[in-house]
Amino acid sequence: MLSEPAGRRVVITGLGVVSPIGVGAREYAAGLRAGRSGAKPVRGFDTTGFEHTIACEVGEFDPAAWMRTLDPAALGRASRFSVAASRMAVEDGGYADAGLRERHGLIAIGTTMGESREFDRLVGQEVAEGPARMDPATTRRINASRLSVLIARELGLTDVEAVTVPTACAAGNYAIGYGFDVIRSGEADFALCGGADALCRKTFAGFYRLGAMAPDLCRPFDRNRQGMITGEGAGVLLLEDLASARERGARIHAEVLGYGLNCDASHPVAPDSGSVARCIRLALDNAGVKPQEVDFISAHGTATRANDVAEARAIRGVFGDATPRTVSMKSMLGHTLGAASALAAIGSVLAIEGGFIPPTINHVETDPECEVDCVPNVAVDADLRIVQNNALAFGGNNAVLLLGRHEERS
Amino acid sequence: MTGTAGVDRPPAGRPPVVRTMISGWSAVSPYGLDRADFAAGLREGRRETAVPPGDGGDAPVERACLVPGFDIREVLGRKGTRSMDRVTALAVATAGRLLRAPGGDRIPGIGAEAALVLGTNVAGAQSTVDFARDSLTKEKPYFVDPARFPNAVLNCAAAQCAIWHGLQGPNTTVSGGRASGLLALNYAMRLQRSGRAGPVLCGAAEEFSTARAWFETLSEPDRPPEAVLGEGCAMVLLEPYGRPGEHGRAEPAEVLAVEFGVHCEPEDVHATLASCVSRAFASTGESPDRLWAVAGSGGPGPEGSAEEAVITGILGDRVPVRLRGTDLVGDTNAASAAFGLVALLAWAENEPVPYGRTALVTAVDRDGVAGCALLRMGPSKGEAR
Repeated sequence: MLSEPAGRRVVITGLGVVSPIGVGAREYAAGLRAGRSGAKPVRGFDTTGFEHTIACEVGEFDPAAWMRTLDPAALGRASRFSVAASRMAVEDGGYADAGLRERHGLIAIGTTMGESREFDRLVGQEVAEGPARMDPATTRRINASRLSVLIARELGLTDVEAVTVPTACAAGNYAIGYGFDVIRSGEADFALCGGADALCRKTFAGFYRLGAMAPDLCRPFDRNRQGMITGEGAGVLLLEDLASARERGARIHAEVLGYGLNCDASHPVAPDSGSVARCIRLALDNAGVKPQEVDFISAHGTATRANDVAEARAIRGVFGDATPRTVSMKSMLGHTLGAASALAAIGSVLAIEGGFIPPTINHVETDPECEVDCVPNVAVDADLRIVQNNALAFGGNNAVLLLGRHEERS
Repeated sequence: MTGTAGVDRPPAGRPPVVRTMISGWSAVSPYGLDRADFAAGLREGRRETAVPPGDGGDAPVERACLVPGFDIREVLGRKGTRSMDRVTALAVATAGRLLRAPGGDRIPGIGAEAALVLGTNVAGAQSTVDFARDSLTKEKPYFVDPARFPNAVLNCAAAQCAIWHGLQGPNTTVSGGRASGLLALNYAMRLQRSGRAGPVLCGAAEEFSTARAWFETLSEPDRPPEAVLGEGCAMVLLEPYGRPGEHGRAEPAEVLAVEFGVHCEPEDVHATLASCVSRAFASTGESPDRLWAVAGSGGPGPEGSAEEAVITGILGDRVPVRLRGTDLVGDTNAASAAFGLVALLAWAENEPVPYGRTALVTAVDRDGVAGCALLRMGPSKGEAR
């Protein structure tokens, strides 16, 4: 029914990572290959009264090292992550700020909760001293738009469209997909896109109360999995078209091949495997990729009972007995919410470049209802051409991204 | 610090292969729940204010522009609304009105494949605050209502619109302060151009609540008294050119261009918005001479004044229709550009527009986003171009 315009090829030339297992692409790649766990007792907020307190926080991290224009103290925690990761992506991409300023760009940052830590701070002040005593400066920091627009302000970019895409836990893939579309069509010369979230008490309490959270470890696809571990961080990718990357001699990490979006429109929190399968097919079609060409799948893989069964069923519904290895990086990172699919996309790119499939750690016994080879506990070496990155969000917002090794085509 | 956003660069992108037509609109506003209420309120130029209800503690404002009679259960029914927050209900009701034909049936041609794009700042400020407060004040920090947790997630309203109205296409939430409605419009157009969607419901929502009133008051201490807080949701139906006619719908406007920039310093607001407007005209070959109406987002701070100055500068001594959502439905922040857009469409119903005239919607947000959309009004159905 709908025409599929051919367009420019979209390549990834810069990666920025703020994650619970490492800051910067190199450290992050090493963590993924080693199967490093980011799970530790929470330090970012008072956990008194919670019976278990494990989360994947960003540990040692100095945002000031990545900011030249903005004062990190004037930013919310999620914006610190998104701005720092963007600066890293631009530096990794070999772009000077001035070079970017001459070009027209899109900045698209996904998030689940926005500046949720700032909200919590305000509510703490309200409870303690009444609403009139809430800190005015903090009230100016709560809009989700800041996660994207502050990147422009840090980098001095005025000729950009800055948009935050708060499409919950699939938001990173949504943002990367948006970048893909504007580069492919020629509407923008570059895109900085990804996702960010900051862990906060309210999110922790919410997942805790939903019974969606494991007390100790995240064990995706395991028979005895108990749920997710909440996390935080940011992942940002620099996208541009192939010709522009070649012209400036940029290193090309990988290529974005296509993506698919749909909505279950059925249940706010329980995924619908039929709908997820349709989203996978939309992505494969958009990318022009056949199922048998996918070398591994980076699953949404939250390790809740419901997600892993529904997701595995959707994957097998599309790939059948030829289902590729299907791993969950959340076993290492926790669920970094709006950053999750962006960090997983970056992990997929690093896997393609490094020739390995990241493991699903904390794995003991695969759930027979989740019929996938999740690469338990130890990364495997693999020659990879195409990787699929799944994201399934609250509200049934699905987004599936296809990434490929950059190869010259005849 | 940095140069002016590319006034000299060629307009972004290639000519769109898919032309995006506006084929319907709806507004749940301080004038009432229906289009006719909004059009009548606009025509009369009145502003309806009321005393905010006391639930959730006292708000720091004496009056606000509230959607009259918007009791969630009365408007949407009891089923599925127990845990629904106000901003979500405003969006669900507005989408429902956009999809409903006069007889009550669903309008034709908008099936499950339809997409939805919705702008928001913080989703429901009140439900987020209440949820966080429960964690701090209950006997245990996890004694929160799990059914209300999705309200604290920013895509709640868009997702509930999909669930209520059976919309399985792309379902995207966007956020850009006062420019959210324009960012949603551009996102929706790109869904169409990239072949990811046909019809798209597109708009933005904002609630009035005690929590939001506190945040807005504390964050804008110099808010002028006339910038009364408002609430509501405004949406348009976007379809590729030609499609509305197949289903018996008119095409009251075409979206010609949407342009954005970022002001890095407060003094750059004027240049940034002026550049956006210049590009919108340049990319379409349109001239400001043919402007029929302009709708500004009307922010309460210096950005709003700069926005008005840019508009005055473009217009020179021309005197088109000039609207500001804030003057009509109050300051609806995230929804202000979406209200500007539907105000133009409603005004065009009150006062027929000569064919081929254009209209401009602008928005400036204090955090940095500035943008505009240029529309061509008409053609009425079947009119030759």
